[in-house]
Amino acid sequence: MTNENGTSRRDFVKGLATGAMGGTLAGMGLYSYSSAAYNRMPKVARSGQEFGAIRSLKVTSISETSWFNNAHLVGDIKAAGGLLVNQYTIGWPPFGNGKGIAKTNYEEGIAPIKKMLPNDLEAAWAQQTKNSIHPENPGGYSCLLEVEDLDGSKHKYLLDVGWSYDWMDQSFKREGIDQMLKANDIEELIITHEHFDHYWGFPVAMKYNNKIPLYVHNGFYKEGMQYLKDSGYKGDPKIVDKELTLIRPGMMLMKFDVPIITRVFGETSLAFNVKDKGLVLVSGCNHQGILQMTSTAFKKLKYDNDRFYGIYGGLHISPFEDWDPKYDDLVFALKKWNFARVGCNHCTGHLTARKFVEQGYPVVRGTARFRSSSPDYLGNGDTITF
Amino acid sequence: MEADNREVSYLESRKLVKRWGGPWPAIVNTLMIFAIFYASWWVFQDPRGIMRMYTPYVGYMVCRWLLIMLIWVAYIFDFWPFKRSWLNKTHPVVKGLILTAISVGIMEILIEGFFKGFLGNLGIAYFSPDRLISMGVTDFYAEEYASEAIMMFAAIASWLSPSWVVACENAPWQKLNQPSRGITVMVVTFFLSMIVYFVTMHSHMAILFYPWQKYAAITPTWSTDFANTVSGNFHIAWIMSGTVVVWVYESIWERYPFNLIKTDWLRRTASFFGIIAVALCVCFFIYYAEDLMWGLTVRGTRREAAPDWRWLHVGETAIFWLVGVLYLAFFCGNWPTKFSRPVNVFLRTVVSLGIGIVVYVLYYRYAHLFLGTQKGFSHPQQFPMIPTIWLINLFLINMWFMDGWPGWKAVPKTAEELDRVHEEVVAHDVSWTPNLAKGLAVGATAGVAFYFGVVTILPWIAQNVQIIK
Repeated sequence: MTNENGTSRRDFVKGLATGAMGGTLAGMGLYSYSSAAYNRMPKVARSGQEFGAIRSLKVTSISETSWFNNAHLVGDIKAAGGLLVNQYTIGWPPFGNGKGIAKTNYEEGIAPIKKMLPNDLEAAWAQQTKNSIHPENPGGYSCLLEVEDLDGSKHKYLLDVGWSYDWMDQSFKREGIDQMLKANDIEELIITHEHFDHYWGFPVAMKYNNKIPLYVHNGFYKEGMQYLKDSGYKGDPKIVDKELTLIRPGMMLMKFDVPIITRVFGETSLAFNVKDKGLVLVSGCNHQGILQMTSTAFKKLKYDNDRFYGIYGGLHISPFEDWDPKYDDLVFALKKWNFARVGCNHCTGHLTARKFVEQGYPVVRGTARFRSSSPDYLGNGDTITF
Repeated sequence: MEADNREVSYLESRKLVKRWGGPWPAIVNTLMIFAIFYASWWVFQDPRGIMRMYTPYVGYMVCRWLLIMLIWVAYIFDFWPFKRSWLNKTHPVVKGLILTAISVGIMEILIEGFFKGFLGNLGIAYFSPDRLISMGVTDFYAEEYASEAIMMFAAIASWLSPSWVVACENAPWQKLNQPSRGITVMVVTFFLSMIVYFVTMHSHMAILFYPWQKYAAITPTWSTDFANTVSGNFHIAWIMSGTVVVWVYESIWERYPFNLIKTDWLRRTASFFGIIAVALCVCFFIYYAEDLMWGLTVRGTRREAAPDWRWLHVGETAIFWLVGVLYLAFFCGNWPTKFSRPVNVFLRTVVSLGIGIVVYVLYYRYAHLFLGTQKGFSHPQQFPMIPTIWLINLFLINMWFMDGWPGWKAVPKTAEELDRVHEEVVAHDVSWTPNLAKGLAVGATAGVAFYFGVVTILPWIAQNVQIIK
């Protein structure tokens, strides 16, 4: 009797263990990806923060050509070991040390030019031209934002400072940025992220105004923070550590914590509420993804007409003219947001622009001047007003 | 050849005996494996290291194909052409070095010779970096695209190759001698992998190029609407889940419950498709869990919210579980073993899931401090499957090629122990009784309740537990 009971109990436990796994698996398989499961998911909550409005926004592309030879840039990345290699160690100017590809670091790169920054940029760049990989390749990304308030007053902001000292100095002079900086006409400088082509030209801005109020993402690595000082910055940088930072009424800085290729962390982008039109998004590279930005703005911000009106900047889709099927997801899905004007350039990639046009998106074409390679999108010296 | 006519494979024929009492073998082997992991990671993969194969796709391809080679050598070819006497007598370190070197050599021939050289030049251009370069793709992306395609092929083979041995018991060629059996199973699984590749991943590769290669592939993939992405990562999700479930079934589940089926063809068929069914359960659950914790996906975006990344992360998460499964099976003696098989299987599943979750948390919290990677769940060029599969490869080399040295040594199994091997293939320890049926019913109800408890609590966990700081 005892044995029978024991056997019965053991059988029950065997069944219990097996049934528990089977029942769990049945739930996992039959319910998890069903419409019933998704019906219980909460709807997207919109907090809809009011942040004022502006009358208009004019963007001038100072430079969108971050590099001039894609094969050289991508070849350098390949030779250095791929897309995860720390950007400061690759050997690009101004951080080369003359030892070849991927054999340098920030300290060795900055040492010979530290004393030249920010006032003797020609000598500094010439020095690092000798020490670095493909010194002729760097360009940079930078744009001027002119915000018109509802009362008609205008305010200028500089978004990013490019890469090559030579190229950025030329570009600044071409668009009169040097004089604006000197005259304190540009109120603030926003560095979207730490990438070489957006940030390494920092000494050029310092040459003209080394106390300009400055915003940087709190994900900057120690080399990036040191570069602020080594470039001669004398101000007190505002370290962006909140998801939303109001710059001025109608102008919101949005922070995204995302790991990025070549060991960079985090990006900030801007959202503008243009009166009677809607939301305009301005980005450096948009490493977080344009639809991540639209989704965040949709949830967090309140804007006129509840409409996404325009985009300006790099959308980081095919920066190296590379492709991935998920980018096609973006090309298709962007339609849902119904942008009235798409002023993309830079790391968006020409292939992406072509696919956008094929989808019927209102991509604003450029003039292909000042070494911009194609009129597919807004190029160097081009402007767009929202 | 001595190995030709063995009914029992070398791995089944040996018993691994601890060299020291207590937890020391596991501790010593774990430390040794982690030391070798980190050294080899630095030499081969680390973006700060020497060869820097983590480009990422080159390193991704290599670690996956090495996994297949280990499976081929140990499972499919049963170490042919090495004699059983050589396997029994040679020092484990020497065996490990020789067998690993051979695996790497075959892998190189396969990648460079078959895929890039033969297939890439005579069949499908995207397998050959040189062809892509000649058509205008930059050197870097030519290498990455080709590596991605070759890697995806390996993902499929990593499920099908062991599945044929474990689930199908090498049928109908189980009585063939080596190398006939090995060659046959390898060719068949390779062929099946190719078919699965064509209907899953070929479309993914075809839309990498502009315009979409619609005359050469179905573009976009047929799963687009179901998976909410044109990316092939949906297929990576279920296929990687399949890879994991094969080893779960083989190791901690001891082929339970399908080994209760006495009819050979039915057991093998049920095992093969049962593994797929369980894999789909795992796949859909992990995807849903991600949605519960991170919110609904936004098609077209990047990072955590992107459907393609969520599918990819299903495979990544499943591999973390596999780390737990294999560690438990190899280094903890498949603990526990003292209960009935169903209870052991249940407890091991719970424990291995626990290990997997711990490894997952540790990886996302700390790995960026050691591996030359960056913190964050979703990085467009980071694949946690690279370090996890790299680690799993070392587990397999240690246990399959080196008999668990230094913590364990191999001794021949007794006749009674060999009988237990057969008992694992066709089990007799669970029979249908009314109490078993009652237990099944109660257990199934509890399992369903547990499932709904988990999906209810997941959003709360997401709100209150921060893995990455």
